[in-house]
Amino acid sequence: MSHPSDSSQPVVYEIRIAGHLSSQWSEWFAGLTVTLDADGTTWLSGPVIDQAALYGLLKKVRDTGLTLIAVNQISSKQEHP
Amino acid sequence: MKQSVLAFVGALLELRGVFYNASMSTPILATKLYLPPPRSKVVLRPRLIERLNEGLSAGRPPGVTLVSAPAGFGKTTLISEWVSARLKDEGGGMKEEDNLHPSTVAWLSLDEGDNDPSRFLTYLISAMQTIVPKIGERLLGGLQSPQPPPIETILTTLLNEITTIADNFILVLDDYHVVDSQPVDQALVFLVEHLPPQMQLVIASREDPPLPLARLRVRGQLTELRATDLRFTPAEAAEFLNRVMGLTLSAEAIAALEQRTEGWIAGLQLAALALSGTTATPGQGETTRFIESFTGSHHFVLDYLLEEVLQKQPETIQSFLLSTAILDRLCGPLCDAIVLDPGVPGQATLEYLEHANLFIVPLDNERQWYRYHRLFADLLRQRLRQAILDVAAHHLRASQWYDANGYMTEAFHHAIAAKDLARAADVAERAWPSMEGTFQTAAWLGWIKQLPEEVIRTRPLLGMQIGRAFSDAGEPETSERYLQDAERGLIDAADLAAFKPLPGTIALIRAYNAQVQGNVADTLKYAELAAQLIPEDDIYRRAQAAITLNFTHWVTGNLEAARRALEDWMTSMTRLGNHVFVVASAFAVADILIEQGRLREARQTYEQALQLAAKAGPEAEAITAHHQLGLALLQHELDNAEAFVQHWQQAADLGRQTTLVDWPYRWQVAQARVKASMGDFDVALDLLDEAQRVYVKNPVPDLRPVAALKTQVYLRQGRLSQAQAWVCECGLSVDDEPSYLHEFEYLTLARVLLAEPGVNALLTRLLRAAEAQNRTGSMLEILVTQALASRAQGNTPAALATLEHALTLAEPEGYVRIFVDEGEPMRLLLERMKAEGGKMKEYIHRLLAASGARQDIHPSSFIPQPLLVPLSPRELEVLRLIAQGLSNQEIADRLFLAVSTVKGYTRTIFDKLQVQRRTEAVARARELGLL
Repeated sequence: MSHPSDSSQPVVYEIRIAGHLSSQWSEWFAGLTVTLDADGTTWLSGPVIDQAALYGLLKKVRDTGLTLIAVNQISSKQEHP
Repeated sequence: MKQSVLAFVGALLELRGVFYNASMSTPILATKLYLPPPRSKVVLRPRLIERLNEGLSAGRPPGVTLVSAPAGFGKTTLISEWVSARLKDEGGGMKEEDNLHPSTVAWLSLDEGDNDPSRFLTYLISAMQTIVPKIGERLLGGLQSPQPPPIETILTTLLNEITTIADNFILVLDDYHVVDSQPVDQALVFLVEHLPPQMQLVIASREDPPLPLARLRVRGQLTELRATDLRFTPAEAAEFLNRVMGLTLSAEAIAALEQRTEGWIAGLQLAALALSGTTATPGQGETTRFIESFTGSHHFVLDYLLEEVLQKQPETIQSFLLSTAILDRLCGPLCDAIVLDPGVPGQATLEYLEHANLFIVPLDNERQWYRYHRLFADLLRQRLRQAILDVAAHHLRASQWYDANGYMTEAFHHAIAAKDLARAADVAERAWPSMEGTFQTAAWLGWIKQLPEEVIRTRPLLGMQIGRAFSDAGEPETSERYLQDAERGLIDAADLAAFKPLPGTIALIRAYNAQVQGNVADTLKYAELAAQLIPEDDIYRRAQAAITLNFTHWVTGNLEAARRALEDWMTSMTRLGNHVFVVASAFAVADILIEQGRLREARQTYEQALQLAAKAGPEAEAITAHHQLGLALLQHELDNAEAFVQHWQQAADLGRQTTLVDWPYRWQVAQARVKASMGDFDVALDLLDEAQRVYVKNPVPDLRPVAALKTQVYLRQGRLSQAQAWVCECGLSVDDEPSYLHEFEYLTLARVLLAEPGVNALLTRLLRAAEAQNRTGSMLEILVTQALASRAQGNTPAALATLEHALTLAEPEGYVRIFVDEGEPMRLLLERMKAEGGKMKEYIHRLLAASGARQDIHPSSFIPQPLLVPLSPRELEVLRLIAQGLSNQEIADRLFLAVSTVKGYTRTIFDKLQVQRRTEAVARARELGLL
């Protein structure tokens, strides 16, 4: 069995949501980094183990009544803006 | 009829469900089925109610109402207000424009547990039963079995029952977004695609369900309310803030709040709570400051608002909210056990929260159970993690309370959340008997996955229970691993007395595992060991050992021993007062009697069981489809058309409601058999394919595999190449030493290879084995095959002698079909016997009359008369060359044969095709599809 070597590596995602979220939400979102943007949105970013974990996070966004704006995958070398 | 005996094993497994269902009911969380009670003060939303009513209005096909919006948009409130108002309307007078007057509403609040399709369907049926008490009752039994019937089968039956409901009704599925399971989604799609006319399905969800929404919209079957519809308009916001929440805000303040929250109801409610709070009537200045800071802030609205709301509450309430946020459902005593502060009594505080609109939802009219609004609970839990204290201690107290009050599932999950694994294991051990009894094995194994192996290894009782659960789940290897753990644990156990019953139970589980794996020697070994270890007075477990022994006898063809063991089992079940078991065992006894060629006794057994079932009640009657089918097939064998039709009809009616999983298979095979008897071979083949499709695997191999049954039909059709393809695939040879388990397949093999060397010896071996075990039913089948083989081999005297033997055995019981269904070759043999004027003249006359009758019903002009004796592969080869116009000499050259040999083949081909000339032979062969 040969899988692409990076498939088991966590991928870094950033999730953009409307409004400013205080940093205490970091734990709620499985340890993602909370960054407030000047345009009134919040970036949640960090490694996500797999697709199931990503959908789990998106469900949390939905269930907390947050407005989802974007989901991006960023390559591990590239730093979050 | 062998397959029906075999199916008894599956049925027995089933019956454990019936057994337990008879003695205890499945725990159903009634709060999931409550229509949320209407609130005293709400914003009336006529524009939305009207939209919802439009979905039910005249001229529109009934369909789906979808309320799809994120958390906090008032979905549940709106739907409960709407249906409650309709229920009230029903008392006064109906709206004239409605063609639907749902006088009844079934409500189901879904939760994560409903991702298990069996649980989902159980609750779906329970919700329906709040309208029609008995609906789907028999299905519930099937759902509790270890191998529930396919979801579509259950839904089809349920939908059929729904179509008999006189009144229209609404079924509400609330919180559908928690469903994250394909089988449940598929069940919903199936439901929507087969929606009965009297049903309106209402779905509330935070995300669109996977339904063909576009198609439903086009067909006008979808009523939709989405976030844009649900958000409060400025007027609604004003009514909500000032009337419902009791504020006195200016138009500007309301507009600002409405704009900032975009009409989002949860946000408005939090804002209102933040504004009320300490000061009864907030000064205009304070309000303005709040609204300014709120709109000016870049903080996430909800986050900010919650902080404000909590700050306004007294500290005791704050701490009450945080402490109880870990609970999915709340009641007064439970809150008392967790908060441990007599100053904040649970029941009074819950009522205060409800009164204060603090996001708490009553789950029943008695104000006993509540839950927090899910959004609010999520936020509180997030706070809890940072705010306090010892969360684990809270979970531990919750676990203890639930445990003491018999809520084992919650007790387990809170023990895990408290990281108290010993406690979790203890709860699992104590929960097992009732969980197994109500067939929640899968859910229980889900718990076990959360326990580390080290914990399990120190607990022999838990190890045995897990072994049992995996055994039930059809994983004997995993089961054995845990049984070994349990045994090792027993060696180290200090208090052996507590584990006294364990070795006997472990032996019983091993016997069952060996049986599933087809290991006869081990099955006998462990069943006997279990019988030794289990004390005399433990009737139920002793009977389990006995029944396992019985089936082992039966698999080896020792039918008399198997039947005696079954009758012992029935005696002990009668002693226990379990008539359902007795009724079910009776059909197995009858089937064995048929195998033994004792048709009269079989009939008596069936009939006695039916009488007993009538007295024993609906659970026993639900399984009598099998008995009726057995009687129908018996009457079919005896050629009593009237009695056959009568039992057949009853079997069909009862079968639609039966809960036994093997029913669809038995029903298809039985239909195929009757169709084949009538000469409808193509239909019979279709039915057999369908039988294969609905076959549910059970622990014992199928004695009459569909492939062999189909092969026998191919032979009747003269489709030799298909029959031979089976011979190649089946891997059996005429030189094998046949076992009882494969008897039917060897008989089929003999029929395909009728004239080949080795067939006679094979049949002799089969006959000897059947004689040795007194299996007259088997003997008859073998003798009939032998007679046909002798005839095909041109040995008519032997054929007649064998047939006479068969007739002597068959006459006292009145067999007809076993001969008549063989068609022309058998008819010719019987004519010959009649002509020779031997014994049993009357019987032979009856059989011939029955053969004639069959031909009258099915004129050969519609169905090409199949070949009486199929062509051999070599004959087919010669026939193909004849069809190409080759002469005998040319054929001989081509096949490296002597011309005289080719002539011999040609003669046989002409005989078999019943023609005189080469051209006729080719035409006839084309007609039969041989070329």
